[in-house]
Amino acid sequence: MFRNIFGKRIIGSIRDRGSLVWTLIFPLVLATLFYIVFSGIDAAGMLNRFPLGVVNDAAFQENVAFRTAIESVSDEDGLFELILHDSVEEANVALENGEIRGYIIVGEIPTLIVTMDGIEQTVAKTFLDRYLQMQNSIEHVMMTNPAALANLVPMEFTEEISLSHNPPSGVLNFFYALLAMTAMYGAFQGGTAIIYLQANLSALGARRTVSPAKRWKVIFYDLLAALAIHFTCMMVLLAFMNFVLGIDFGQQIGFVILTCFVGSMLGISFGALLSVTPRLKEGAKISIMLAVTMVCVFLAGLMVGGINYIIAERVPILAWINPAARLVDAFYALYFFDTYERFALNIVIVLGMSIVMFIMTAILTRRQRYESI
Amino acid sequence: MIQVKNLVKRYGDLLALDNFNLEVREGETFGLLGPNGSGKTTAINCILSLLKYSKGEINLFGSPMKPDNYASKKRIGVVMQNVAVFNELTVIENIDYFCGLYIPNKKERNPLVEEAIAFTGLDDYRKFLPSKLSGGLLRRLNIACGVAHKPDLIFLDEPTVAVDPQSRNHILEGIKELNRNGATIIYTSHYMEEVEQICTRIMIMDNGKAIATGTKEELKAMIRSGEKVTVEIPDLSNEVLREIDSLSGLIDAKYDDQLLTARCVSESYCLSSVLDTLRKHNVGFGRVFSEPPTLNDVFLEITGKELKD
Repeated sequence: MFRNIFGKRIIGSIRDRGSLVWTLIFPLVLATLFYIVFSGIDAAGMLNRFPLGVVNDAAFQENVAFRTAIESVSDEDGLFELILHDSVEEANVALENGEIRGYIIVGEIPTLIVTMDGIEQTVAKTFLDRYLQMQNSIEHVMMTNPAALANLVPMEFTEEISLSHNPPSGVLNFFYALLAMTAMYGAFQGGTAIIYLQANLSALGARRTVSPAKRWKVIFYDLLAALAIHFTCMMVLLAFMNFVLGIDFGQQIGFVILTCFVGSMLGISFGALLSVTPRLKEGAKISIMLAVTMVCVFLAGLMVGGINYIIAERVPILAWINPAARLVDAFYALYFFDTYERFALNIVIVLGMSIVMFIMTAILTRRQRYESI
Repeated sequence: MIQVKNLVKRYGDLLALDNFNLEVREGETFGLLGPNGSGKTTAINCILSLLKYSKGEINLFGSPMKPDNYASKKRIGVVMQNVAVFNELTVIENIDYFCGLYIPNKKERNPLVEEAIAFTGLDDYRKFLPSKLSGGLLRRLNIACGVAHKPDLIFLDEPTVAVDPQSRNHILEGIKELNRNGATIIYTSHYMEEVEQICTRIMIMDNGKAIATGTKEELKAMIRSGEKVTVEIPDLSNEVLREIDSLSGLIDAKYDDQLLTARCVSESYCLSSVLDTLRKHNVGFGRVFSEPPTLNDVFLEITGKELKD
């Protein structure tokens, strides 16, 4: 019985092109489009090494401390591409021509010359301010307590603050939201399974209801087949994102797969519950499935980056009850945090929603006799 | 095999089945005949425990029919009015699926599936998806899915709707064969010719009620009408028409659109007396038709309306 019902439903689902378009083809196309649109955005967000001039006069040559400091942050991996100018005039010309972002005249007190504001100018100024602060501290210690000089920490101009074992990314949220959308599209699979089960929804449902196959078995095997097919679609999408598009889902791939599985359960249960409603026509049910999914994934940040954070801050309840937002947050938590509390909370919420919807579906589908069909 | 007593089914204010009674004996091909909306499908769906009903008693194979009466369900085959197959499965996969709901063992099932394919003449289409089949072939697939497991009792609800004549004959011959092989058949239709052709007993239904039950001969014997004589006459005077109308053994005679129609009383034959009267008055006539009474005449006489309507 299991092989017959489950196996044939798997075959049927694979051949159901309409359903596969929504649950596999569309997400694959969207992932590719995201990749094309967003490639380079992360790189744009990173600070690149930029040209900074220094007037190479006697003061610069004599100020060994400054020379050492600026050279230490001007290697190949450093902040600056250091360009030495023989005179202030030459540095000015280079600045006006855009060859450098600014230049430093060492003099008695090193001074930064820039002609405009910007991130690179701010970085150069921050470096200089930090250097001057350290210089003042050292001079003060030398004057007041020279013996303590040895205890001064080495001068560092860059500091790495690590929140995570993974590098930050501005575009990952879009791919997480896409996975959440695909998870919710499991509603198509779950919905079809229920329509094919209910005598008041389809001739096929009536035909199966009059068979001697026990109802709970048919429901369970059908939904299991829907889950298997949809989860496979999720895995194909995940593999495509990971191996073809190179999207990094972090090190916790097992938990990422678990999140996809729970997401599939959510989608299937959502579609099943919606389809069990007899008063709505099939077209109306599909429209509702799409509308709810799109609203959820919009609020989870699929279309507008960062909207999920705004919703979480301003209408937190909406963020908590939005299953797509919970799935996105679960992926996010896995990628950025070393601990699992936040991930586990999200998974429990989504799992809870799925179980409640499955129970409601089971209650509503247990009857086999109808007022009308 | 089937006993239905005082079944009442309402759809809101509409009384769909009004104290409906039915008894079907083992080995019969029992026809439920009636116009659309007469309650045939509602009766079948109540018997199959798909519909709730307000009142009444339904027994199948000697036990009350309920949704969880799996023992009875196992012995039943159902061919729904609307084709009930998976559009994504091929012909052979569909038959195997539905047969598998009754016979889980694949080895036991395989020969039955092959037999059903041969029986419905779908051998050339076994790998076809339903969307590639004609209406007639689709109906045959629907039947194959309903009977592959060799049930003792088969419900066929309007299985020939929108079917070409070739497929219709194939289906009707197949139903006769199923009956010859021992299956009891319940056949619903609004096509009286089909019911007359294959059913051993017939129930005529109207407005949720059984208005007459019996063999086709018994049903026809219930009414006054017998033979119906139709004669093509280019021109017929009222005087001759009145004389024909007054012939003994005639119920009435009408002349309309160059056709004379004379209805005879049951068991009497009035063809010769009608033709003699025409000859006596030198009335020229063309083709002559003589028809025995049909179930439509039965329906017409009992309800006052045409079954075909």
